[in-house]
Amino acid sequence: MATLTSDATQPLLAATGVRKVYRTGTVEVTALRDLDLTVLPGELVGVMGPSGSGKTTLLNCLSGLDDIDAGRVEVDGRDLFAMSDGERTEHRARAMGFVFQAFNLIPVFSAAENVELPLLLTGTAPREARARAVAMLERVGLGHRTTHRPSELSGGEQQRVTIARALVARPAVVWADEPTGNLDSTMAAQVMDLLHTLNRDEGQTIVLVTHDEAIGARLPRVIRMRDGRLVSDTRQPELQAAG
Amino acid sequence: MYPNLLLPLLGVLGAALLTLLLVAVRKPVVRRLALRQVARRRTEAALVVTGSVLGTAIIVGALVVGDTLNFSVRQEAYRTLGPVDERIVSTDPAAGRAIADRLQPLAADPDVDGVLTAEVAQAAAVNTHAAQPVAEPRVLAWQLDFDAAARFGAAGGPSGLAGPTPPPGQVVLNEPLARSLKTGVGRPVTLYLNGHAADFTVARVVPQQGLAGVGIGGRVNRNAFLPPGTLDAAGAGSTHAVTLVSNRGGVEAGERLTGPVTAGIRSALGPDAGRAAVDTPKHTVLAQADATGDALGALFLMIGSFSIIAGALLLVNIFVMLAEERKTQLGMLRAVGLKRAHLVGSFSIEGALYALAAALPGVAIGIAVGWGVAVAAAQIFRSWSVDGSGLDIAFAVTPTSLVNGAALGLVIALAAIAATSARISRFNVIAAVRDLPVESGRRPRRRLVAVCTALSLLCALAAVPALARSQAEQTYLLPALAVAFAVPAASRVMPRRAATSIAAALVLVWTLAASVIRPRVFDTPSMAVYVILGTLAAFSAVVLVSENQHAVLRPLRRLMNRPTQQGLATRLAAAYPLAKRFRTGSTMVMYTLIVLVLVLLTEISGIMNASIDQAAADATAGYTLRVDYNPQTAGPNPLTDLRTGQLARRIEAVAPLLQARGQATDPGHRTAEPLETAVVGVPDGATSGIAFRDRLPGLPDDKAVWNALATHPDYVVLDNFFGHTGGPSGKFYAPGDTLTLTDPVTGRAEPKTIAGVLTSGLAFYPGTGSSATVYPLVLGEQAVRTQFGPQAQTAAALVRTAPGTSPEDLAGRLQASHLSASMVATPIAADVHRLFAANTAFFRLMQGFLALGLLIGITGLGVVMVRAVRERRRTIGVLRALGCQAGTVERSFLWESGLVALEGTLLGAALGVLTTWLMYQKSSAFTGLDGGFPVEWAQIAVLAVLTLAASLLAAAGPARRAARIRPALAVRVSD
Ligand SMILES: Nc1ncnc2c1ncn2[C@@H]1O[C@H](COP(=O)(O)OP(=O)(O)O)[C@@H](O)[C@H]1O
Ligand SMILES: [Mg+2]
Repeated sequence: MATLTSDATQPLLAATGVRKVYRTGTVEVTALRDLDLTVLPGELVGVMGPSGSGKTTLLNCLSGLDDIDAGRVEVDGRDLFAMSDGERTEHRARAMGFVFQAFNLIPVFSAAENVELPLLLTGTAPREARARAVAMLERVGLGHRTTHRPSELSGGEQQRVTIARALVARPAVVWADEPTGNLDSTMAAQVMDLLHTLNRDEGQTIVLVTHDEAIGARLPRVIRMRDGRLVSDTRQPELQAAG
Repeated sequence: MYPNLLLPLLGVLGAALLTLLLVAVRKPVVRRLALRQVARRRTEAALVVTGSVLGTAIIVGALVVGDTLNFSVRQEAYRTLGPVDERIVSTDPAAGRAIADRLQPLAADPDVDGVLTAEVAQAAAVNTHAAQPVAEPRVLAWQLDFDAAARFGAAGGPSGLAGPTPPPGQVVLNEPLARSLKTGVGRPVTLYLNGHAADFTVARVVPQQGLAGVGIGGRVNRNAFLPPGTLDAAGAGSTHAVTLVSNRGGVEAGERLTGPVTAGIRSALGPDAGRAAVDTPKHTVLAQADATGDALGALFLMIGSFSIIAGALLLVNIFVMLAEERKTQLGMLRAVGLKRAHLVGSFSIEGALYALAAALPGVAIGIAVGWGVAVAAAQIFRSWSVDGSGLDIAFAVTPTSLVNGAALGLVIALAAIAATSARISRFNVIAAVRDLPVESGRRPRRRLVAVCTALSLLCALAAVPALARSQAEQTYLLPALAVAFAVPAASRVMPRRAATSIAAALVLVWTLAASVIRPRVFDTPSMAVYVILGTLAAFSAVVLVSENQHAVLRPLRRLMNRPTQQGLATRLAAAYPLAKRFRTGSTMVMYTLIVLVLVLLTEISGIMNASIDQAAADATAGYTLRVDYNPQTAGPNPLTDLRTGQLARRIEAVAPLLQARGQATDPGHRTAEPLETAVVGVPDGATSGIAFRDRLPGLPDDKAVWNALATHPDYVVLDNFFGHTGGPSGKFYAPGDTLTLTDPVTGRAEPKTIAGVLTSGLAFYPGTGSSATVYPLVLGEQAVRTQFGPQAQTAAALVRTAPGTSPEDLAGRLQASHLSASMVATPIAADVHRLFAANTAFFRLMQGFLALGLLIGITGLGVVMVRAVRERRRTIGVLRALGCQAGTVERSFLWESGLVALEGTLLGAALGVLTTWLMYQKSSAFTGLDGGFPVEWAQIAVLAVLTLAASLLAAAGPARRAARIRPALAVRVSD
């Protein structure tokens, strides 16, 4: 389950020459232009840039949610686009976690049922899956909310459930696309604290899209995008997790 | 059908549409809103229209069936009567001449445009020149003035018998006779007139129209028209004198003058009135046409009403879903100042547009459906009639029916939409705008509780007398309403779900048990009671199941918890029906309702078929043949020959039946018109094995009834179909009820008391060419002789074949050897079987019609799934991101729809079997069907499998679309 096997100097993710073109009718939008990026295990990477610069596209393409037009993406040593859709889906289940801006949870499942989903998908026994889901919910401070449906939770609580779900199967990398975009500042801070803690304490690799400069300022590594290109990649080693 | 419905329906529809039009014109915002919504969701719009089309098609189809039957029976007036409005028959030729003279002056009556005198005799015919000799024992030989016949009623249209008088030795045949003799113009034919063979050549063959098809009460008449003097020469023994009167006007217009002309005839007859029977065949046939058309149209409308309910549910469901989708949008509109009434108006306009778009295709498909049913019905009716001369179905559609059907479809759709719109427009504006979940579990408001509780008590009070009188509709409906109205009050003292569940359980138990507690509820079956019963059972069961879906799905828990893609698919499949109870319930109930009724029909038909052997035994008491013959022909008495002649050793027993024509009042008081009756006098003790379903209290067994009949001249017995005109038979009279029996010739009337109701009166139905509307009335032999005097004649007998003799074989031999007496021998058991087969076929037909409702249910499921895919786009995206395979998404949708369909189908099937079983235990509707209660597993299984397969097919498209959703696009917030 724990796929965090590679040593810290081997990249967890290596993207080379990734190109993504959206075609709608006659219009073509090149959302990623020959993008190269490597992410090391245990990194917390922020992706920033103006709206429409290709942040979401980058996240979708590097995680294998979307197809690419050119280039190569390796995650945890495997070439994403050499796999079939089924294999890639399976790989996602084992090696990735996702947090989106909103609408993350399955509305008809309770918090615990949502969190245990990735475990069940990878064959964990139901009893164990439930126990781990509840433990994870406790970690994100929602031990008292396990049987609640998403509609019975606040936005911040919902996002924390999502983070619990993204992390419960100990994926190699967690992708988060503006996870605080729909939250007020207090809740946003809570969610960001949680992500920082997880990255620091457990070495969880996280790729996080945000357009919030305040959030960006606290991140150990930030890449900036414009027009589908990577325009800068800055590290602030003093913010990096201890190891 | 139903011309009297036309104006009220159009009135209601016009008012509704006008209101909407006014709103549309006066409130441009409302109009714009409605029009934009129509354009926005093409798939949903198409599905709503499909639902309405099916609803309208079913209504129109039922009405067209009614039209066709009405028209087909009406055709009989053209075929066998034409200009003939009144008929005066005298069995005594001497009296006949006197009567003809008395009636001649009628010709001057301005209301009359023809008076024709003729003699007619029962005859038989043989064509010995065919490859195989062909005999026809059922022939009417007429002697009349051909010139007068050609002129008869000609002012109102052709008489049907034109052309020159055939020279001596020649005969004019009508088509039915030529066809059964396999002969044609110029060919020789032998007629047995008064028992003597005479050879003729066919001069012409005339189509069965008007006079050429006329008879003395039969439905198909095989006529031979002879030049004047021919019958006289053969000896007048068996000749009836007939005077036919044509009223002014065409075939149908003439009928309106029946009243005054009949009065004129009676006064013209004066003292001779007692020597002739006056009847009004055209009036009878046309009245019967209306009755048959109405009854069968109503039957199909009843069957169709389940589908119509399903159609209305579909509309409700779709609008509730549309409102859910537009919640934020509508909240915004309300927030900026749109009134709730405007919202209702906008929804209603939108719905009206869908319904209007559905009207024309609905009518077109309805005509096709009606045509299909009519074609199938034609086959069935052909085998239904005793002498194979069943109704010829002629397809017909009246504009009235089309307008009625379209209007009714529209009104139902508009009502469903208006009610739903009013309900869905009540929402909390803030909650809607912010897309908050609706508060659930809120206690009902005090005023609502008070009103509902009052209504509940009122219904409960009203239920008491209804129950005491076993009044069908109220017995089912009132207690159910009382329970339903009690729910708001109960919700204040217990959880709402518990209150609803208990109420649903109570209603369900009551619906199932009512026929056990009040076994007489089906005595006067209205169509409505079946609709109420089915609807109550289906709705209460579905409410019960959907409120307790958790418990119902517990067996699936293990499967759902499996940590595999399969497990996830099951989990998702069960999760949504659990969460979306309204739409799941309203989809499921469509299945339950239709399957319930389909299984009910299957079971009833199964019960009937299981009792077939018993039924044959009850009907025949061991007699295997019924013979009918002309007793007045010269030659040996056929009865004596049956007992002592050549074939006697093949015959074990003979019971002669004394017969007379009578008229009786309806003991069930359904009609004031006299009913044409075949009076049968049975010899003492001969038929005591024929069974009764009901006996006079004090008569301990069947034998006692037959004994009472022999000793009490005022006792009669009859079957369950006396005065019946179609549709399900009820229990309109019981032993102890009375009627007045009249001899139409002498006018002698006597009161009679019903001593018993026969399980089957089949043995007593006239076997030769008589109309299906003649109801047999069985008396003791002596009683018939006393009342009817010389009119009563032994003209039929029941025959028990000796062991080892086949009834069919004996029938053939008897007909051949008694051709001169026009003997017709009918194997009774074969008749019973044929009737049962026809019944089964008719049940199939009703099931086929009902199956259209299943299409609505399946469409409904398709709608729900299309919507579900749209609504769950993001969720699907997230699931896919989490590692849920595309196939799993597809399967979860398939299983979800399969689950709803399966639950609905199983529920319907179980309720169908249970309802029929409970009815079978106690209800009088099943008296006499003692073959046991078969559960038709095979048919139910086929039904369930087909339904399920069709449902999965309907869900396959949406499911595939769900699987193809691209996660990267679905999870985008901006989308
Ligand atoms: N499905 C799509 N079809 C066409 N163009 C798209 C689609 N998705 C995104 N784009 C375009 O691609 C570019 C990058 O979009 P996106 O990755 O969403 O940017 P960001 O997340 O940085 O705001 C934008 O110009 C956007 O309009
Ligand atoms: Mg974005």
